[in-house]
Amino acid sequence: MTGLLELRDQIRKFYSRNAVFILPFIKFVVALLVLGQINAELGYMAKIDNIAVLLIVSLACSFLPSGCILFFTIVFSLLHMYALSMEVALVGFCVCLVMLLLYLRFAPKDAVVIALLPALFMLKIPYVVPVVVGLVGGAMSAVSVVCGTVLYFFIHSVNVNASAIMAMEKDSLGKIKLILDGIIHNQALLVTVVAFAVTTLVVYLIKRLSVDYSWTVAMVSGAILNLVILLVGDIIYDTNLSVVSMILGAFLAVAIGKLVEFFRFCVDYGRTEKVQFEDDEYYYYVKAVPKMTVSKSSKTVKKINPQRSVVTERTGRQSEIERKKTGRTVTVGNEYYDEEEDGATDSSEDDFEDLF
Amino acid sequence: MINENKVILMTRMASYEQKEGKRCMSIAKYFRTDYVARHVLKGIIAGTIAFAVCFALYVAYGFEEFMENIYKMDLFAFASNVLVIYIAFVAAYCIILYLVSTYQFIKARRSLRCYYQNLKKLKALYEEK
Repeated sequence: MTGLLELRDQIRKFYSRNAVFILPFIKFVVALLVLGQINAELGYMAKIDNIAVLLIVSLACSFLPSGCILFFTIVFSLLHMYALSMEVALVGFCVCLVMLLLYLRFAPKDAVVIALLPALFMLKIPYVVPVVVGLVGGAMSAVSVVCGTVLYFFIHSVNVNASAIMAMEKDSLGKIKLILDGIIHNQALLVTVVAFAVTTLVVYLIKRLSVDYSWTVAMVSGAILNLVILLVGDIIYDTNLSVVSMILGAFLAVAIGKLVEFFRFCVDYGRTEKVQFEDDEYYYYVKAVPKMTVSKSSKTVKKINPQRSVVTERTGRQSEIERKKTGRTVTVGNEYYDEEEDGATDSSEDDFEDLF
Repeated sequence: MINENKVILMTRMASYEQKEGKRCMSIAKYFRTDYVARHVLKGIIAGTIAFAVCFALYVAYGFEEFMENIYKMDLFAFASNVLVIYIAFVAAYCIILYLVSTYQFIKARRSLRCYYQNLKKLKALYEEK
């Protein structure tokens, strides 16, 4: 565990030092994944179903706010739909407009969830999203999950009915009816929306409880609940969802949830302290759970030649600075020092670490 | 000599000002009623447009049936039904908006109160010097 905690600290340090580069890179990868999946699923407009366009747009997304990923996802989807049929694009535009008006203007941060969900559905791992969003998001994030699910089923409906739409040619109303039927009478959409919304809310509510291992309980119960609702929905409405995919998805959701927990909520319940005190107005019942951390390994200077201790004291500051700059063995004048690792914290080194 | 406490406090406050603080300060410019009313008004407009879009899709979905029955149906009753659904939809949306914006306002005020306390602490640190 200590090794893992050290690794976590190193990753955190690495991220905080290089966030300027890492964040755009993550956005680039997410945009590439999402837009690539949209192209793979729809792909009716050859001009944008092109790796060069994909790379340029993903690169633009890496420098733009994260909401732009959703914007380009919608633009790509609508362009593909337009290439298939103008009526389909019109219905798609209406669906996106309603989502934008009713929800998205309040939670622009959740735009990435909406954009990511269709891509994860296409990669057959959507069951991770409600658990992870419930852990890191708020109660309102359930609506984002619902919006993302609706967006995916709409895209899927267009893809499934593409040949029928092409055959209809000039029957505009028929095309609109066919596409809307794919949403309104889609039992799989209904079951998935209910399962994901309930799971997100349950995970969010359980993780906030003041019980030990609340995050683990939340993610496991969320994954099981999701599975149960989807299975019951499958039995009642015959939705033809893949059971194997659901079970694997539940395991994956818990695994990724544990990873998120490790980085965001790593506490030691074994050292929980419960204290009680009062002031003039209140009684306080406080439960304090310490975070899991590792003390930083530090370096100490071992004097080999004690006769020259005066020199050492005088050049103490200089030696500290040089030690920081050069590494393990340092020279101060004619003095040679060896450094060794131990668990004790060297406060002076900490001070200088702040300076550099 | 660098005062560590002061540096930590100032760093935290600067980080807050750049991220969450910006949004909170823009919210705290308003009185609570003004802020909530502004959101609800925007909600009425957005809800009306969204309802119009949904209604248009509904009509397009059942257009043939609608055109077949247009001379038989009671248009006044149909319009009043649509109006009732519209009012119910916008009212429900506005209630949700009212709750969300009130919560946002309270949260922002609480967060800013903490920020102002930190400002006072910083002032005290300067005065100590």
